[in-house]
Amino acid sequence: MAITDAGVMYGLLAVGAGLATGLAGIGAGVGEQGIGAAVVGVVAEEPGFLGKGLFLMLLPETLIIFGLAVSLILMFAWSPFAALL
Amino acid sequence: MLRPVEMSRVVVAGSKNVMESVVEKLHELNLMHIVNYTGGADYFEQGKTMGKGKEFSENLIKLRSIERYLDIKPKAPDVRFAESQIISQMDDLLGRLANDVTSTYERITAIEAEVKSKQDQINALRPLAAIDLPIELYSGYETLAVFVGTVESAVDADVAKVAPKSEVFTGSFKNTTVVAVFVPVEKASEVQAILAEHGFAEISVPKLTGAPDVAIATLEAEIKRLESEKEPLQKKLKDLKKQYEDIILAADEYLSIQTQKTDAPLRFATSENAFVIDGYVPSADYDKLKSALESTTGGRIHVERLSESEMEELVEKKGEDIPTKIENPGIVKPYELITRLFAIPEYKEFDPTLLIFVFFPIMFGMILGDVGYGIMIILVLMMLKKKFRTEGWTQLINIVMIASVWSIIFGLIFGEIFGPMGLWGKIFGQLPHEEILALEESGRFFGEGVFGPLGRVGPMGMFPLYRLATNAVLMLIGVSIFIGVLHCGIGSILGVKTELNYGEKKHAYFERLPVLIFQVAFALLLLGLVLGFMPLVYLMGLLVVVAIVMMVMGPEGVMGATHLPFYVSNLISYLRLLAIGLASVGVAFAANKLAFGVIMPMLSGGEHLTMVAYIVGVIVLLVVHFINLLLGILSPFMHPLRLHYVEMFTKFYSQHGGGVEYSPFGHVRRYLKV
Repeated sequence: MAITDAGVMYGLLAVGAGLATGLAGIGAGVGEQGIGAAVVGVVAEEPGFLGKGLFLMLLPETLIIFGLAVSLILMFAWSPFAALL
Repeated sequence: MLRPVEMSRVVVAGSKNVMESVVEKLHELNLMHIVNYTGGADYFEQGKTMGKGKEFSENLIKLRSIERYLDIKPKAPDVRFAESQIISQMDDLLGRLANDVTSTYERITAIEAEVKSKQDQINALRPLAAIDLPIELYSGYETLAVFVGTVESAVDADVAKVAPKSEVFTGSFKNTTVVAVFVPVEKASEVQAILAEHGFAEISVPKLTGAPDVAIATLEAEIKRLESEKEPLQKKLKDLKKQYEDIILAADEYLSIQTQKTDAPLRFATSENAFVIDGYVPSADYDKLKSALESTTGGRIHVERLSESEMEELVEKKGEDIPTKIENPGIVKPYELITRLFAIPEYKEFDPTLLIFVFFPIMFGMILGDVGYGIMIILVLMMLKKKFRTEGWTQLINIVMIASVWSIIFGLIFGEIFGPMGLWGKIFGQLPHEEILALEESGRFFGEGVFGPLGRVGPMGMFPLYRLATNAVLMLIGVSIFIGVLHCGIGSILGVKTELNYGEKKHAYFERLPVLIFQVAFALLLLGLVLGFMPLVYLMGLLVVVAIVMMVMGPEGVMGATHLPFYVSNLISYLRLLAIGLASVGVAFAANKLAFGVIMPMLSGGEHLTMVAYIVGVIVLLVVHFINLLLGILSPFMHPLRLHYVEMFTKFYSQHGGGVEYSPFGHVRRYLKV
């Protein structure tokens, strides 16, 4: 099905942008879940590890920012896509 | 500030008859970080505890047990004591008070144990009340075996089969069946097997007499009596705690100091008549240490500073750690908390605290960016400051306090007081409607607030910048990434210098430097693409290639270039400065819109504002803003923290493992008068 309506196109872009951030968020969450549990375990044994633990736990957070970057590109730099019409 | 304090390796040697006065002086100076003697040299062995050391440590153990019984924990000091006061009261504390506390505490423990055992007996007796045999009848037979317990199904018939001469009493208690089975001793094992089939669980019958009901009542009365005896004893301990807490903490400190002094020779190298102390002293304080030791011993001591190269050799050959003393001016000091949370820098590394002080609050402010929230946080923290007086809390409060000031500054830039478009318009005014439409039409809309009579300021009338406007988002994306370039760039420069400090030239120029070139060039390349300025794009593209080639030539070879995605994601990661901020603005905006735009007009039905509409609207407003504020403290704190730990520290920090913190021989007196 060819998309000929700019409104439909924009709507689909918005859905795509939402999915990009949302799914990236789920991914980051799944990643952090395991690390978080392990870090809490280690910190309970050795409180001095808190800083390094935080460091490890926050690593997957960049994932969601990637998703967000894609969303921002879709939402704000969509003119190239409109040219496809 | 950026580097740890310069240290000198010092050796102190002298005759044993001046050892005590040297230890006394060193402790008072609180300057020398002692390196423990681990043996290995001819003629020298580890020293022994001096003087009354044994007595002091025994007293300390005694005192600590009193502290445990009275539940005394370290706290901010209320009163301070002179040492003489402590010495004169020590016997009283360790004699009379210790006996009193110990006997009271032991009595309480005994009462608790007794209550527990009586409670167990009651629990065992309760099911037996259902059978109603006197308790003494359950035991004391020579020819009879007795089984008492709960079963899942009736047992009478089966027991009668194997042991015709038997008696079974049954009762029911809380949905379970209680049985008491009396059989001849010779049938005991068979009956036991039968009972096991019926899910028999034994109850151990207490050695008491009389009917179960009566026995339970007696036990309960006794428990009550014991509890009433315990109460005044507990109150007594509480009173003793109140009365003696301060002096016990001071005595603890006094004894700790004494044992520290008497145990000090354990860390020295001693021969029959002499001793040697190895250690580190801040270079600036070396002369002070030397003259103080010489004057206190009348010159009968040898204090020597090793040269740089000798120090280097000790580190390399014997694996000695040069202690790190990080020192920062008062306003920067709270941020040491963030550094420490990660790791203490090594002696040759940089202390990033100053950088955190510069960047962290700006990032916090850029994310939160709201005048109203900033003021609220500062007010709340001022109240908390009086309550939480321990060092860690004070530092944390100061960190957020400084960051909140930046949040107010950014609030002014973004034109936000409790969210955009609400109070700002009322206080500072906003553009007329037609002008907003015209701006939107021409694609130059950056917001509608104004700075009072100044109007909109900056290039293209950019400020106050309404963060949810498309133009503003695009601009903030660029700003965030370039803050990242700056942040990571400084990290990389420090990385190059750190590697040079360690003498690793190859790592410095082919591992750290290309990262700097790559990140700067990559960001400028993107800028060139956005602006459509091709010469810049080509030049930066070339630099990116150069950086990659340098990485491949580096110590890791081709593997070095595999880190490229990490360095790109480093920069993209800074987008969170914009993103988290947008989320918090979004919630604040929604709160204002919901209250003023939806709830208030809806409830008042288009007419003038009714009282109900006003109240409901304000409640909604407060709740949503409160939640937003809570989130607004947490995430602007965590995310810059991550940007420092992950994005910046990886460029230069703790690549060689954490350092050892400078902890001089001495004691900072908290409860004793100096």
